[in-house]
Amino acid sequence: MEPVEVKVSDLNVWIGGSHILKGVSMKAPPGAVTAVMGPSGSGKSTLIRVINRLIDLIPGARVEGKVLLGSLDALRADPYEVRRRTGMVFQEPNPFPHMTIYDNVAIGPRIHGLARGEELDRLVEWALRMAHLWDEVKDRLGDYPHQLSGGQKQRLSLARALALKPRVLLLDEPTANIDPVSTVKIERSIMEYAKTAMATVIIVTHTPQQAARISDHILFIYQGRVVEYGPTREVVLHPRHELTRKFLGGEV
Amino acid sequence: MPDWRRVKDRIFTVATVLLALLAVAPLFHILATVAIRGGSAILRGGVSFFTDPPAYPGSEELGGVGPALLGTLWLGLATSLIGVPLALLTAVYMVEYRESKLARATRVFTSSLLEVPTVLIGMLVFLVVVVPMGRYSLAAGSIALAIVMLPYTVSYVERALDGVPRTYREAGYSIGMTRAQVVFQVVMGIASRGVAAGVLVGVAKVLSETAPLLFTIGSARGSYPTGPQSLLEPGDALPLLIFQFAQTPYSNWQDLAWGSALLLTLIILVIFTLLRLLFREVKL
Repeated sequence: MEPVEVKVSDLNVWIGGSHILKGVSMKAPPGAVTAVMGPSGSGKSTLIRVINRLIDLIPGARVEGKVLLGSLDALRADPYEVRRRTGMVFQEPNPFPHMTIYDNVAIGPRIHGLARGEELDRLVEWALRMAHLWDEVKDRLGDYPHQLSGGQKQRLSLARALALKPRVLLLDEPTANIDPVSTVKIERSIMEYAKTAMATVIIVTHTPQQAARISDHILFIYQGRVVEYGPTREVVLHPRHELTRKFLGGEV
Repeated sequence: MPDWRRVKDRIFTVATVLLALLAVAPLFHILATVAIRGGSAILRGGVSFFTDPPAYPGSEELGGVGPALLGTLWLGLATSLIGVPLALLTAVYMVEYRESKLARATRVFTSSLLEVPTVLIGMLVFLVVVVPMGRYSLAAGSIALAIVMLPYTVSYVERALDGVPRTYREAGYSIGMTRAQVVFQVVMGIASRGVAAGVLVGVAKVLSETAPLLFTIGSARGSYPTGPQSLLEPGDALPLLIFQFAQTPYSNWQDLAWGSALLLTLIILVIFTLLRLLFREVKL
């Protein structure tokens, strides 16, 4: 499958009268992890919800601008098509509680008719391995998610997204409430998936440390505006903007 | 010198226990009476209690409530076929399109429907269905019962669907599910117990309703066992039989009413037991 570059130009978003994103432009290249960093309420989550059109679910949201996933014009395309090509992991671990571990991973390929039988088994195993969860659940695929720890649930959510082999993987503070061991595993999965699948990974994080650990590029947003964008090394070591420096130092 | 605080505490405890007993006493009295009098009637009738039509009024024989039992089962089935899909879709609409004017109006109407005396619903169906058709029928009764069922099932199901956290919907959409898939595979799946409870509460409610049947099904006991052969014919139902037979001076018919009361209670008990056994709470 073709690598896909995510390109956002002059994006403005209003939700119920308040201006959340103010003329945001950014790029996220394939085969790399792009971190979207900024304090709470800066519009990070809104940005990735525009990319996969989950913004459509928010009543009173208005979007202007352009979002390209490769050649697909995401704001004009069928939202279901956009979401099928993009995977998402949320802040709260949210595997479907009424489905078994296996079914949680299989549901995506099933509803899109991508795999059945042994082929589906292999896909499920691949996704669970990719999410570094396989060894912990391989003997209990018929269990339900409530029997897993929070970190395992989050890795299951990641595996569910990976099973569709999305060209673009979006993560909204996926490790905010997760134990350190699972955090490390999730970070490894994300980096491996970006490299091995030439996928475009965009991760929202409010900790500069995580951005520094796993990303290739950093986008720093503050109050709905892009303050700084560049290779991670440069942004972390030589921030050009005063606000970025303060944020990295924990002052904003 | 007695410790007054302790004494007052004791008095209070005893008083609450006594009042609680007082509150449930009528329930136990009803259950006990129904069990004893209904039980002896069913034992006297044996198998024929469930299969035979009632004996002649005042005769030494008891007969049975076969037509009414059959009618109640038919009514339960037909009412569910009409009422359950309608209630589920209404509840889905109210939750999915919460902000729309129509959804708000629907919410007001269904909750008002809860307050409408069910006898009025029977009269409405009499005017709209029975009169044009020219005869009483189980179908007319089912329509009346479906209207009675609607607000109960809708409000239960709506609450169940509403209780599903937003994040699971987002997860469904994020893997490319359509709205219908999100509603039926994710939200309904997670809320399955609440949805089932709504359906079964609705069914249990209508099985014991009498008033909507007064003007609709025609309490036909004579054509049995050959009829009713279709829902378009008149029929009988247990609550209707209880209502009518309990008011007669014939002791064999009064016994049939007692037996029917126990039978109806047992049917509803079975429904709620099934609910507990078949549908478990989905743990989040």
